[in-house]
Amino acid sequence: MNPSNLLSVALRFLAKLYPASKRWLHRFHGGVFPQYYKSLSATQPIRKAFIPEKLILPLEQPVGLPAETLVKVGERVKKNQLLAQASKDPQKALIVPVHAPTSGTVMAIQPMTLPHPSGLQDQCIVLQPDGLDEAIVNALEVDGSHPGSPEALKSTLLHAGIVGMGGAGFPTYAKIPNQRGKIHTLLINGAECEPFITCDDLLMQTRAQEIVQGALITAHALGASKIICGIETNKPEAIRAMQEAASNTPVEIRSVETVYPMGGQKQLTLELTGVEMPHKAHAVDLGLLMMNVATYAAIYRAVVHGEPLTSRLVTVSGLGLNKPFNIHALIGTPFSALAELAEPKVTLDYPLVMGGPMMGFQVQNNDVPVIKTTNCILANPPEPVAMQMPCIRCGECMQACPVNLLPQQMYWHTQAHEYDKVEKLNVFDCIECGCCSYVCPSHIPLVQYYRHAKSEIKAMHAEEKATELAKQRHEFKLARIEREKREREARLKAKKEAVKKEALAEESPSAKKPEATAKSAAEAARAAAAKRAAAQKQSQKSDDSNNPPIPPARLKAIEAAKKAAAQKAQQKNEESSASSKVNREPPKSEQDEKKPDAKSAAKAAAMKAAQKRTQAKKQASTESASEVTSAKKDARQRAIEAAKKRAAAKKAELQPMAEMETEQACSDSAFPQQADVKDNTTAATELTETTTSTPASEKETARRAAIKAAKEAVAKRKAASPSKTEQTENTATPKPDEDKRKKAIEAARNRAAQKRNAANESQQGDK
Amino acid sequence: MNRSMLSSSPYAHNNQNVRKVMMQVQIAAFPALMAHIYLFGFGIVIQWMLAVATFIVVEYSMLKLRGRPVWPFMSDLSALITVTGLVFCIPPEAPWWVVVSGSAFALIFGKHLYGGLGYNPFNPAMLGYAFLLISFPVQMTQWTMPLDITGSTLGLIESAQIIFNGAAHTHTMDMFTGATPLGELKTSLTQGVTALETLNREPYGLLFGLSAWAWINLAFLLGGLWMVLSGVISWQFPVAFLGALAGMAFIFHQVDPTLYPPVSFVLLSGGTMLAAFFIITDPVTASTTPRGKLVYACGIGILVYVIRNWGAFPDGIAFAILLMNIAVPLIDQYTQPRVFGHKLKG
Amino acid sequence: MIEAVLIFLGLALLFGILLGYASVRFKVEGNPMADQIDKVLPQTQCGQCGYPGCRPYAEALANGEAEVNLCIPGGNEVMIEISEITGLEQKPMAEGAAEPKPKEVAFIDEDLCIGCVLCIKECPVDAILGATKQMHTVIEKECTGCEKCVPVCPVDCIEMRPVEVTTKNWKWPEPQTIQEGK
Repeated sequence: MNPSNLLSVALRFLAKLYPASKRWLHRFHGGVFPQYYKSLSATQPIRKAFIPEKLILPLEQPVGLPAETLVKVGERVKKNQLLAQASKDPQKALIVPVHAPTSGTVMAIQPMTLPHPSGLQDQCIVLQPDGLDEAIVNALEVDGSHPGSPEALKSTLLHAGIVGMGGAGFPTYAKIPNQRGKIHTLLINGAECEPFITCDDLLMQTRAQEIVQGALITAHALGASKIICGIETNKPEAIRAMQEAASNTPVEIRSVETVYPMGGQKQLTLELTGVEMPHKAHAVDLGLLMMNVATYAAIYRAVVHGEPLTSRLVTVSGLGLNKPFNIHALIGTPFSALAELAEPKVTLDYPLVMGGPMMGFQVQNNDVPVIKTTNCILANPPEPVAMQMPCIRCGECMQACPVNLLPQQMYWHTQAHEYDKVEKLNVFDCIECGCCSYVCPSHIPLVQYYRHAKSEIKAMHAEEKATELAKQRHEFKLARIEREKREREARLKAKKEAVKKEALAEESPSAKKPEATAKSAAEAARAAAAKRAAAQKQSQKSDDSNNPPIPPARLKAIEAAKKAAAQKAQQKNEESSASSKVNREPPKSEQDEKKPDAKSAAKAAAMKAAQKRTQAKKQASTESASEVTSAKKDARQRAIEAAKKRAAAKKAELQPMAEMETEQACSDSAFPQQADVKDNTTAATELTETTTSTPASEKETARRAAIKAAKEAVAKRKAASPSKTEQTENTATPKPDEDKRKKAIEAARNRAAQKRNAANESQQGDK
Repeated sequence: MNRSMLSSSPYAHNNQNVRKVMMQVQIAAFPALMAHIYLFGFGIVIQWMLAVATFIVVEYSMLKLRGRPVWPFMSDLSALITVTGLVFCIPPEAPWWVVVSGSAFALIFGKHLYGGLGYNPFNPAMLGYAFLLISFPVQMTQWTMPLDITGSTLGLIESAQIIFNGAAHTHTMDMFTGATPLGELKTSLTQGVTALETLNREPYGLLFGLSAWAWINLAFLLGGLWMVLSGVISWQFPVAFLGALAGMAFIFHQVDPTLYPPVSFVLLSGGTMLAAFFIITDPVTASTTPRGKLVYACGIGILVYVIRNWGAFPDGIAFAILLMNIAVPLIDQYTQPRVFGHKLKG
Repeated sequence: MIEAVLIFLGLALLFGILLGYASVRFKVEGNPMADQIDKVLPQTQCGQCGYPGCRPYAEALANGEAEVNLCIPGGNEVMIEISEITGLEQKPMAEGAAEPKPKEVAFIDEDLCIGCVLCIKECPVDAILGATKQMHTVIEKECTGCEKCVPVCPVDCIEMRPVEVTTKNWKWPEPQTIQEGK
């Protein structure tokens, strides 16, 4: 007898005197010893297969995104036929395909209640079995040979739709590393520590060979040299069966102490290998890979027989059932159908539990389907809820915690909503095993507090991220507006100057000066364009929304507002104005003395414009909205004309600019051109005024009509859509709708024409 | 089907509850109660009944005033433990108003004003005791002479007469009361008598070679060991407390045996064992982390020794506990256990 | 007498040096208060506080020019945080603003959208995609729920919809404390 055995015998003896010493028999901290009730179902033979009246197949698995359906309602499908699969990269999105568990007809694809604690609904395929159970043999088209590389194995597992069947349901293909040889030890989890559940026990008793073969296949593909299987001592039959199957193979079967939660991944890993998985690290990084016995059996069936995962062994047990049993249940079988088979003692008017009593959850609807992670359906009649007493800090929870957390402190902070402190106490290391709640003498639902805290913290972090993103995007937008404004100003200045010099040149043809100015103006414009292009590349994403050609008519109004906004920013922020000055350097050097005047005048103009604009904001915006269509063409023509004129006059090289820029630049340049006779600054002021105020007064009527038309159209539409008569939507409504729209466009066109006239008039008047 | 209340797993429980825990503590105090009755007479029974009556009245009215459900909170029996602990600290023949005011103070100011069970920072029993010791120092230091000295103890009727009337017709107060061994020691030391002389003078008779006080302490030890084994209290408390106390006693006794009493006397006198198993183990006011429990109990042990030898009071348990109660949040902060998979911090 | 004076002088000197060292060693650049406030603000950039965005409001607060209770999306919680940072007194939120509501995001009815780009211009975080005369759509992930786009829409095709609860963002509710009654 070796010393460790001696020690354990001594401890077992001590445990009779001092029960707490039982915890010293296993390697991890804490743990509890609940009543197991395993014999309820373990003593029964596996019940013969059963095809329910309907199968519900959720498209979404517990982990990952939903798959996309390949079948239509009414379609007949065969067993093992692929019903839904990933349209995106399944590796990244963790999508698992869905197969038909038996042959039948697709009745519906609709939202159904999921086996999830929230009781939320999601898209499910509802299948009506025809009872023939007609199957596609070797649906995965495998040749039965063992894959020699992780990739090959992973592809088979992906197509077989295998997920971790122990509880978490993480897609198995995503768990396996791509590199061969990265895993040195393969672990088989046969601990099954939860009370009531016996499905792994029976699987090991009846299909030990498959489990061992599955493990060997995986080890072969991954190049793992060691395989260790851990089974709790309370399953002697399973241990014997597994030992038999594993003889003459490298698989090592080890019995481990019966303590809850021995089946926890980290706990069993520590118990079997002595490796304490570091916080946040994955077992794979340590060269360890643990999977449940059922997963290995599924791997075997997929690789050797080409069977996708369409059924699993499920324990149907509980104190409320007369005949508990285990069954190879088809995925999608409603819980209630299975529970009824077990002859409930009283009507099932209480919620069933998916999983064991320690970690399972009550389903919100007893008709939810069996999914790939459903190891147990538990029917325990509700017991009177013990009153929750205040925490007396007894520390029982701490002594029971297998992760060595401080449950009571986390509880206090959660109660006080101090989630940051809860996070600091490592709540995310909590495996939600329920030991703390199990031992709490005050009957505090500690686990629910931690689950609540975890979801709150997750939401908090998501919000923090969103906030940060929003801030960045907002700052970016402000910077972009600022930059655009600066560039425009620079161009404006350059052109103004050029035009002025031109005018001077016309009056007294001394050639040198104008040329120089024109040159510099052109240079400035070019520089601005280059800058813009560069900036655009950088900011492609956010510019998306602003790239589309903006009608000059609107630009005018908007620009005024922008200027006003920028003005505010300048007043507040000395720095930004300084930097904008730097950017305006080239034109400034040419015409220094006029700048301050122009600037203040422009400021005043902008302010006025902004005021006016706010007055008529809503109308103005609506106006420009409907104006868009017709005004655009005219404006563009005009702009192009202006551009041509200018080009001819000073040979400006504006061609490399994008069309939009030309347009914008031209609409900008319209002001100085018109203003050249008068003093620049006053003219500019006047113009801004005219663009905003004159239309406001003149075209009130036209605009009103347009708005009315649009509103009516909307009202009609809104009225029409709820009635949901598709035909009327398709045939009757569009026509008047279109009429209305046409009217609106017409009105806008009229308005634009008026506006143009007005502008021309003022131009002429100016001249 | 009522699905409105969403409840979380686990759906199993080990059927332990606060009431059961408190009952176990109460049962564990039984041997000591028996020893007490045998050695000091029935005074303690009357005191205990007075305390229970006070507990019922005070708890009921406080819970009503605070608008809490009365029955569930009264039946958790935590207040019973509080008053039981207090009763063991009060002289068996002290006037009735001592125990009543002490219990009421302990429950109202020690517990309910902080928000009831689970929220009080100070040990209520010790708060009540400190209150009594400061308010009524004479009554609180006049202990009944034990059986081994007087040769007989008071019966139930006599005790009741003394407690309610101040004196029974057959006895006067001074006839059967005196200072406790710890008090005696303190007085003698101030008079220049060495510790050894005081203890060897041995005014007390011996029962099977041990003084009455030692027997009471052993009775507490017995109940306490049972609680440790059945997991009601953590082993850290008594081990660290007694260890620290014994360590201090050993060191100082070695330094100067004339001034400092031996280890055995220190451990088996006054309320040492009562404190070790019943008072400092009160989970609400003690540290909760394993290492914290050790630190907390150690601190009390050292403080008890310091107060006994250099303080103004013969026994310093109450003050030592109250002082360490203050330090609990700090201790908890710095003794957090290493979480699975995390590296040791510092 | 002289000793006492000397001692005090010495102490004064010592503390002076300590303070001087600390002011150099632990110097904080910039306006930390505005940054701190900006951090607690919800960054919806909704402008309901009367400032053009969250940052300007934070700066105004740091300069003591604004009230602490203006951030409507942040609600009471943010108000308390702000008052803690600024040391200003807490103030109750304006009527009807104290009620925190679940996060909403803008939704554009794409059948009605006329492609006017007004909402695009208005969106403080560029969360609306679209081009002139083409329908627009909201990038749900980036929408802060500021509701700025709702009033500018000429055809009222934008509405605020609460974020959909799925199994992925579902929150475990806090346990109900059953302290009342038996």
